Amino acid sequence: MKKANIGLFMKHFLKNAFKTKVIYVMLTVFILLTAYAAVSGIHNYSEQNSIRLEHQEKARQSWEANPDKHPHRMAHFGTFAFRMKQPLSMFDYGIESFTGNAVFLEAHRQNSVNFSDAGFSTGTLRFGELSMAMLLQLVLPLILFFLGFSVVVSERENGTLKILLSQGADWKEILLGKSLGLFVLALLFFAPIVLFTTGFLFFGETSINPADSWQRFLLLFLGYALFLLILCFMSIVVSTTARSSKNALLTLLGIWLFMVVLVPKTSQAIGNAMYPTPSKLSFQSAVERDVIKKGDSHNPDDPYFNRLKDSVLAVHGVDSVTELPFNYGGFVMREGEKTSANLYKKHHDSLLHIYEKQNNVSRFTAVLNPFVAIKTISMAFTGTDFKGYVDFQEQAETYRYQLAQEMNELQMEYISTKKISGSEGKKHVVGHEHWEEFPDFEHQMQPLQSSLNVASLGIFSLLGWVLLSFLGLRYLSKKAKAI
Amino acid sequence: MYRLLFLQFLRSRAVLASLVLILLLGVISIGIGHQFLSQKKAAIEQVESHQKSHIERNVALHKDDLGLLMYYVQFAFVNSTTHLAGLSIGQSDLNPNVQRITIKNLEGQRYDTDLVNPMNLQSGNLDLSFVLIYLFPLLIIVFTFNLLSEETETGTWRLVSVQTSSKSKYLLTKLSVRVLLIYAVLGVLFTVAKIVLAIPLDLNFMMVVLLSFLYVAFWFALCFFVINYKKNSGFNALLLLSIWLVLLILLPAGINAYLTNKYPVPEALSTMISQRDGYHTKWDTDKKETLQKFYDHYPQFQEFGYPIEGFNWTWYYAMQQMGDDDSAKDTKALRKKMGERETASKQLSAFLPNMHLQLAFNELAGTSLNQHLSFLDATGDFHEELRLFFYPLIFKEESGDSVDWTKFVPKYSDDGKDDKTQLRFMWPLLIATFIMFLGCIIIGRKLH
Repeated sequence: MKKANIGLFMKHFLKNAFKTKVIYVMLTVFILLTAYAAVSGIHNYSEQNSIRLEHQEKARQSWEANPDKHPHRMAHFGTFAFRMKQPLSMFDYGIESFTGNAVFLEAHRQNSVNFSDAGFSTGTLRFGELSMAMLLQLVLPLILFFLGFSVVVSERENGTLKILLSQGADWKEILLGKSLGLFVLALLFFAPIVLFTTGFLFFGETSINPADSWQRFLLLFLGYALFLLILCFMSIVVSTTARSSKNALLTLLGIWLFMVVLVPKTSQAIGNAMYPTPSKLSFQSAVERDVIKKGDSHNPDDPYFNRLKDSVLAVHGVDSVTELPFNYGGFVMREGEKTSANLYKKHHDSLLHIYEKQNNVSRFTAVLNPFVAIKTISMAFTGTDFKGYVDFQEQAETYRYQLAQEMNELQMEYISTKKISGSEGKKHVVGHEHWEEFPDFEHQMQPLQSSLNVASLGIFSLLGWVLLSFLGLRYLSKKAKAI
Repeated sequence: MYRLLFLQFLRSRAVLASLVLILLLGVISIGIGHQFLSQKKAAIEQVESHQKSHIERNVALHKDDLGLLMYYVQFAFVNSTTHLAGLSIGQSDLNPNVQRITIKNLEGQRYDTDLVNPMNLQSGNLDLSFVLIYLFPLLIIVFTFNLLSEETETGTWRLVSVQTSSKSKYLLTKLSVRVLLIYAVLGVLFTVAKIVLAIPLDLNFMMVVLLSFLYVAFWFALCFFVINYKKNSGFNALLLLSIWLVLLILLPAGINAYLTNKYPVPEALSTMISQRDGYHTKWDTDKKETLQKFYDHYPQFQEFGYPIEGFNWTWYYAMQQMGDDDSAKDTKALRKKMGERETASKQLSAFLPNMHLQLAFNELAGTSLNQHLSFLDATGDFHEELRLFFYPLIFKEESGDSVDWTKFVPKYSDDGKDDKTQLRFMWPLLIATFIMFLGCIIIGRKLH
């Protein structure tokens, strides 16, 4: 096997490819699509983020504008958490359009994250979203299959393959050269997308954490490069084994249909059918039931809280709650919040576990299906995957808990021990400077490491496919027929 | 000859495999629809039984304080799912069909979402509408792409042209074999769906069937148009698949990107904040002023006066009311924006048979955005009814026992089941099919 020969076959392939008009047409159309996807991706990113930031600030202003008041009123005044879009979401929307964007955070209650784009949509969203990731995952494979299906088989059909082999060329050189030639074409289609994304990372308003974004970008695009390489090998292998160029094309189209459309959709549907999501009512009433079983802080005769009271009184050696060194109402609410938050978390975790089981059915097909592999990698590194959403929910819940407990602490410390219940009026209040002291919610992007963990299965799958493709080419170079 | 053409067609393994595959996926999709319907049904039954015990528990705890009791009690309002929703799940997987609301401010409650796995939403439902809209065209492509070219490629076309009186008649006969087969599959799937999902034979179901037959006709005409250009099989397959990709994925996705960017919905977030501020800031402002505003809205309650000493429920519910009243402007803007989105999306989709069909299905099945918005409006009316019933009782400080709680069973919204003639859905598809037929005739003439 000579390197020079591989280069020769590669150049020859490219020269042939550019002889036809069709490549220019496809390239132009693809670049136009890329431009449209990039512009709408960037526009959507900055528009949505500025809307959310503006509302986050608005909500904060009215939080800080509160006068001196009872801290429990502030705990119910509450605040909002807005999910910020991550910079690379301009490249891959992932599940962002299907997740809620805003949640109201208050004491005692875990509210749902509301207002997803999908909820505002008539259903057209279900046809898919035009993003650069979608072009790479869906459209470019079809283009590569089209450019590559006849590469070997047509040379066999018109007899040039025989001549090449008899003149001393080696199968390995031919297959590798042609695969690499196709790969160069793939990179040509890929280039505008890389350019748009780097341009955005350089000049766009992505102040949050540029180093993190660049690392993600690198990993992401390396993943895509591997994916494209696999597609090229796949086309060449099919082209070499097919009986006729018609068969080669039909086989590749079949692979595309199966791996891109049918398998992902069906496997997710199967996962959903196998592990049904509980209804909202059964979820909520299960939490409620557990909380009541443990002790209902809003019930004046609750045995759990009565026992708690007795033990607190005993520890401090006093007879009545009004003699305690802190406000007992705040104390009860602190304990109540702790139990209800823990119980909620327990139920919410098992709900997430059901979702994960649903998702795993399609996630594990990534081992066999490089198209699913690249999809999981892409969503993980752009921070638009399921994990990213769960992460946001957790950040919001942590903040909600801190807010509620901070207010309970303020009540214990500053509110008269005589004032056990009720939060109305101007008498039992805490100074408004405390409101500013409590920091605002800020949505943090999940660390790269956690994205890497999610993407690892996909990465291994892609590497496995590259290896398999090389082995396949080697095997073919011994078995392939010239006639 | 007809029998022979049938046999010849069915001899191909690819044809048989794809027939089995589509039947299998069709049956799976109906199964998924059935599961969806039974989950919704179970959820509604659960609401029925839960509401009774929920009210009993809270009445027992707080019956001496009706104001406090009404702080806790939730009333269910149900948008019952039609059987057709099992065919076209549409937006109803995402939008809750049960609202459980208290008489406190409405805007803080009515947008609460259901429990949904966003990954499922992204992947979309594998319901019969998906099989029909996405997979039937693929099947039609597989069946027709080499209708003519296989004859030229195997060399039989010359034989045919000498032996038959009319080449186009021969082609049409061949095509009709495929058309019949596809319609048979469609018929089987609709029959299975009708039985499994217990769909009533009403106008809406007829319309779904009719639209589906038209859609299949559209794709046959489109494929026939392409293959008449006498290109080779590979080229036909590629071209048809590209058309499928453009019509079913790229154009809808492009339209969607346009709609998302053209009509962002910041109003939703503004409503959220203004309803909170509207209510909560009233704890610190002049009580009399709040009550005055409340009586401006509901003059009939003026008799309850201006109690401003300490905490009282009249003032409390007046504050809650202010959450809705102060955010009314934002709510209206939100509703308007949603309406604009809906209209734009409908207008654009009229040009794409598949998008049009999906939206028409959703509307016929009662799973469209528009119907959900009407449900939200109806929730508002329901909420208002509850308020007007309970406000005077609370203000009079009646006991919880004075209310006949047995009449507070979950209420059903009867919207979305109006059987108005839905013939208007037909026109865009009919026109598209007609244009394709016309194209076929013109190119068919050229051929000979």
